[in-house]
Amino acid sequence: MVVIALGFSIAIMVAIPAGVTANQQAIQWISENFKNTITAMQQEINKTATLIECTTTPSRGVETFRLGRFFGRMNETFVDETVCNAIRSINISGVSAVKDVIPFLVKSSMENISETIVTPFGSRTIYRPAYTIIGVCLNATIIANYPILPTNITAGENLSEGDSGYVLISSNLTDYFQATIGDTIEIYGQPFIVKGIFESASRPRTVYMNISDAQRVTGLAGKISMLYVYVSDVSLATQVADVIKTMYPELYVTTYQDRLANLQRMQEMYTQTLSNAESSIAQAQATATQIIIVAVAAAALIVFFVMLYSVRERTREIGILKAIGFSNWNVMSQFMIEGMLIGLIGGVTGVLIGSIAAPFFSSFLLPQLNLFGGTQRLQRPFQTQYPSIIGTQSYSTVALTPQLILLTLCAAAILGALGSLYPAWRASKISPIEALRYE
Amino acid sequence: MSELVLETEKLEKIYKLGGRTIRALSDINLKVEKGDFVSIMGPSGSGKTTLLNILGCLDRPTSGKVILDGVDVTALPEKELYKIRRYKVGFIFQTFNLLPYLSALENVELPMEGTGKSKREMRERARELLKLVGLAEREDHKPFKLSAGEQQRVAIARALANNPSIVLADEPTGNLDAKTKYEIVKLLGKLNAEQGTTIVMVTHDSAIASHARRVLFLSDGKLLQKEKMGLLAKEKFVCPACGKEVQAYHTFCPHCGRKL
Repeated sequence: MVVIALGFSIAIMVAIPAGVTANQQAIQWISENFKNTITAMQQEINKTATLIECTTTPSRGVETFRLGRFFGRMNETFVDETVCNAIRSINISGVSAVKDVIPFLVKSSMENISETIVTPFGSRTIYRPAYTIIGVCLNATIIANYPILPTNITAGENLSEGDSGYVLISSNLTDYFQATIGDTIEIYGQPFIVKGIFESASRPRTVYMNISDAQRVTGLAGKISMLYVYVSDVSLATQVADVIKTMYPELYVTTYQDRLANLQRMQEMYTQTLSNAESSIAQAQATATQIIIVAVAAAALIVFFVMLYSVRERTREIGILKAIGFSNWNVMSQFMIEGMLIGLIGGVTGVLIGSIAAPFFSSFLLPQLNLFGGTQRLQRPFQTQYPSIIGTQSYSTVALTPQLILLTLCAAAILGALGSLYPAWRASKISPIEALRYE
Repeated sequence: MSELVLETEKLEKIYKLGGRTIRALSDINLKVEKGDFVSIMGPSGSGKTTLLNILGCLDRPTSGKVILDGVDVTALPEKELYKIRRYKVGFIFQTFNLLPYLSALENVELPMEGTGKSKREMRERARELLKLVGLAEREDHKPFKLSAGEQQRVAIARALANNPSIVLADEPTGNLDAKTKYEIVKLLGKLNAEQGTTIVMVTHDSAIASHARRVLFLSDGKLLQKEKMGLLAKEKFVCPACGKEVQAYHTFCPHCGRKL
């Protein structure tokens, strides 16, 4: 009973720092991920200064960061291929301003998948397209000059000019299609041969194919949903974008400037998130300190009362020891060692309980990690997955390190000694004659 | 026998109980020589235990001196007394006072703990002592598995552990049945006769007291001048069965085996 009570308070002593450490690790991890993502996007944006992106659906922007908001099937709209030629012929001050226009057809698969996603705001099941088809213009010059095809081919080959009936699939789709290089898969009821498999964080669950194939199988002949407009000079980008917006108000147009602004917003969000997290951690630490003080006091008090009781119970024994020549110090150290042993046993029990129950303790006792401000709180299942653009990584809610365990055991022994200090001193002061008379 | 092991000078102990003063001991002048076996007799309340506690440095006299092995222990500070208790005095109690969770052997080893002896030396010494008191076979038994007489034997072995100058026995047979009583007191006699152990025993049982060399009487805190020769002093017996001379401490005649 006593050991369990002691074990529990010591378990709290283990669990709370473990929880705090885990939170810190989580935040560190999130911060690194944000940084990496933003650096990658920065590089991407710098490479494509002359690119104006026109899509029929809102672009993936800041919203993607609002985790869990951007799932599900969206309304897809399309424009006619003739847009390409119209844009290509845009003149600014009488000079042809557009170098190239590359059409894409982006279409969701017919099939849906259900996915249970554990987001920071709770878990839920969402339905979304099993994959996205991107029809690209397989023209040798365009492929050579612009980054329209995935670059990280892990198996097989990339698509090349005139390929028809071939697809590239992302590596996380191999399970879904149960297919590998050379296998035939069915898309919109039509057979395609897997030519290559690629790896891309920004384009998960994607199938690349020839735009003409895509238009044919999806029944969208002559339709496109995205254009990459490359201007001949960076200085013309804004003007060209304005012209496109006037001509086709249904298109969502983003220039290099827009993308930079987006990035800026993302960075601000990242900073905000991080500062939220940090203040949350500071709060958690303050609470943790209080809880640990209480746990330490409880542990010391438990030892204190147990030892006091033990000294009372063993008064006669103390008398015997003194009568046969044990000094006060002998008796005192005897009881202190005993207290330390009780502390250690409690410590071992505590570490055992803690290693099992630490997540519960830290979720009950610590304020929850607040990443996104307001009332949204990070849930604390054993593992949390961050979906989408941030990437996916599991992290444990407690970090029970060997150092922490060792520290706790030492602390438990010291607490045992401290708690038994007074009882042991009392034992040493017992008069042997009275103790021997004691029944 | 000329070396004084224990000497008291005008020993006095006064208790104050709620305004009343109780004179537990007064003017005790006791001399015990090396190798002596003294029993102090007296009715209960006569101050026997108080005297023994003072002799064993568990208690302090109100006035007077206790000189143990030439050292005036009444002048020693509390911090030094435990050494006297450990090395100079061996205590035997009426209630045995063995530690219940230790085996017979460990109980005997207990006073040697922290004396600088190695574990092996302690073990050897404890075995030797248990053999001496006739319990060699039962060294691993816990006290509750031993009979009362056996427990007292363990206690006697424990008292001898550090080779004390004097063994103080406080009613050592008080909790024993008639048969065991004699075995224990004869064991004490044997230790005195064979090992030269100096023993002061307190008892109210005259039959037990008579096994000593000398019998003193304590009454109302005063040592009476009347002093009697005990059995041991007479040294030899004649066995009624075979007619041969037998040492007084034998329980059975070594010649014919008859119970004495």
